[in-house]
Amino acid sequence: MLSRASISIEKGLSMSSRAESYRRLWDFAVPDSTIASQKWVLSAMQSLGPELITMLWRILGNEQDVCDCYQDTFLHLAHIETGQKKPSNIRAYVFRSASNTAISILRRKLIEQKNLCRIAENPKSQTPVGGELDSGSLQRQLRLNIAKLPEYLRDVVALHDLAEFPYSQVAKILKITQGAARVYRHKAVQLLAVWMKE
Amino acid sequence: MNAKIKTNCRDARGLLGKLGEYINFSTPWVQRHIANCPKCQKRFAAVSKVYLAMSLVKACPHNIDLLKRANIQTVDSLSHGVRGTAKADKLRIAMPQMKLAEKFSPVRGALANTAACIAIMLFAKAGILNSMEKFQTDSKKVIENYYEKNIGSELTDEIFS
Repeated sequence: MLSRASISIEKGLSMSSRAESYRRLWDFAVPDSTIASQKWVLSAMQSLGPELITMLWRILGNEQDVCDCYQDTFLHLAHIETGQKKPSNIRAYVFRSASNTAISILRRKLIEQKNLCRIAENPKSQTPVGGELDSGSLQRQLRLNIAKLPEYLRDVVALHDLAEFPYSQVAKILKITQGAARVYRHKAVQLLAVWMKE
Repeated sequence: MNAKIKTNCRDARGLLGKLGEYINFSTPWVQRHIANCPKCQKRFAAVSKVYLAMSLVKACPHNIDLLKRANIQTVDSLSHGVRGTAKADKLRIAMPQMKLAEKFSPVRGALANTAACIAIMLFAKAGILNSMEKFQTDSKKVIENYYEKNIGSELTDEIFS
């Protein structure tokens, strides 16, 4: 009985030591430069994470999508090739790439939704009856229409209205003037109003 | 009358983009104009729908642990050397925190009043208020002299008495 227990302990030990050696091997395989480049990504996550989560949640409205988009953004930042220079404005890079990824997820959803409606053959069944205000559908409508906006207008709406950055920061991130940011936002709201009326 | 409505219409259209930032529906001339202009009624209704949707999106809360989950998912896909660091451990338990401005928003007025009182006390202590008074009386004397020279002492006394 004892011998069987000692054998299982030995087995367990050998397995853990093997796992340890594999981990060392893996660590050895990852160059130091990659580790160094990924360490500053942690700092970026710490400083930009909460704001980014808020923006992504407002664009996507789905927690799993938010987690995926967040991961994609920072992994992309972490795996910038070692030869390449780290982006000069990390904040701008992170928010722009995150909003682009989020919008592509939204577009994919829009296509899937259209296909589902086609299969169901009764797309009007989801609309509220008697012109009632349905907050869920209003939010969905807004998100889908934001995804339809041209990129230069969409970026301003995402950063100013959803991430709640002031125009000065939006202008800095998008490398445009504050006046241009205001004009783009005004145009975007007008377009959204026309599309949401239809 | 028509021309006035048209001018107001143009102004109102110009302000549509600033709705929620600088103006609101409670502004009297906006309300008066919208009541009489069917075109602007439609425009404001459409824009308001967008703002309503935006505020609904902003008001919708997410789970409190969303940041933590997103951080865990991301950190776990980084290389091993980074995963074990103290910073990574901190990120794994990170929770969203209120901004300083949001934290102090309920006591903002009281803080501003206290700061104003402290500023006045400091000014008084530094003698700035005394020197301001002195500057005021000196400048009054200069003006009196100027009037005396130009319009005579009698009229000057009448003015400054």
